[in-house]
Amino acid sequence: MVAILQGSGAPTRADFHAAISNRSDRWFAACLRITRNRDMAEDAVQNALLSAWHKREQFDHSARLDTWIHRIAINAALQLLRKDRPGVFEPLETEIEDRGDTPESARAAQELKRTLGAALTYLSEFEHVCFVLKHMEQWHLREIADELDSNVGAVKQAIFRAVRKLRTRMTGLQGSASCMKRP
Amino acid sequence: MHEETLILYYYNDGLSSSERRKVEAALDDDPGLAARYGRLRAELDDLADSETPVVPSHVMHRWHDAIDGAAQHTSRGVEPQRSFSPLSFLWGAAVTAALAIGIGIGILLDVDNSAPETGPEASGAFSRGVAVYLRDTKQELAAMPAHMSADRTTLILDIIEQNRLYELAAEQNDSSDVARVLRAFEPILLRLAAEDITPDDAEALRTQLAFELEVILTKLSRDSSNDRQST
Repeated sequence: MVAILQGSGAPTRADFHAAISNRSDRWFAACLRITRNRDMAEDAVQNALLSAWHKREQFDHSARLDTWIHRIAINAALQLLRKDRPGVFEPLETEIEDRGDTPESARAAQELKRTLGAALTYLSEFEHVCFVLKHMEQWHLREIADELDSNVGAVKQAIFRAVRKLRTRMTGLQGSASCMKRP
Repeated sequence: MHEETLILYYYNDGLSSSERRKVEAALDDDPGLAARYGRLRAELDDLADSETPVVPSHVMHRWHDAIDGAAQHTSRGVEPQRSFSPLSFLWGAAVTAALAIGIGIGILLDVDNSAPETGPEASGAFSRGVAVYLRDTKQELAAMPAHMSADRTTLILDIIEQNRLYELAAEQNDSSDVARVLRAFEPILLRLAAEDITPDDAEALRTQLAFELEVILTKLSRDSSNDRQST
């Protein structure tokens, strides 16, 4: 029951309803991964739907409607995050090193056990978004850099750091993060 | 070889084709490196979100409503018209009447109970109301015009609206099974409302809906019978 459109013409209201019924959980999950905030993720999906509706004449029929909306939803989530926290995607010259276990983070990690969600909380915002867009959404490095007004080198470094931290958190590997320390 | 190179190799991004070939050659020649890459790949493969968050139904309704609202404010040239016509008015009235009858029967069947309903009794009244609604919906779908028309679209959209009301009511009555079934009807109804559906596909969907409506009606009837036996 996936909304796959064939032929020509803009997607109809029924097509949008079908896409929402079938795929909105995935859009929501993607937005939630990026924003880490349910309200913001809900708003991102809604903004994306309205944006897609208004741009429906531009829909390329070689793609799937739900995939198209998915991409718009991620952009909407990034936009909301940027609006909510200006400067959030500016990679710092000295990136935040693994925060270590404060009592709060240790408690949170214990509650969430060793889930990916818990491990992701140890990343900086820039590392987190770069990792999610690369690993979960399979964006190209160039696309991520463009979307975040950054450059491919900075995105690569953010992903390297994210992978190291996540491997450390998820598998208990130690030591590899230390080589990322900067003077 | 640096871990960074292996990470880029894993993502198949950020390395030139000659750099990729070098990594491949190194992996072929060096079992230790191959083992290291194997571990990295397995760990990255494991970094997947296993939990998909559930979208609350009221949120999903909000998104549906957002599209309906936007559609009403934009050009109608692209979509099926929902202009007034006597026939569509009758269809809408029929659905509304079915809803009223459904609720009414649910209430009438329990009219002897003057005390506020709780537990299985309230749930029984609700189930009977849903059953009436489902039976009427089944009949309306069977009598629906075979070819795509504005009236047919209007009828289906009206059914969807009623369906959502019953879905909400089911959730409020702790009938999550019924709510789930009603929710599952919506995508089928939406496909049925699609402009480009062929008569054959429409017929197949109607048959599918009729079958599923019958299944849930049988289930409701069985549950109701079990409730009576247990009281």
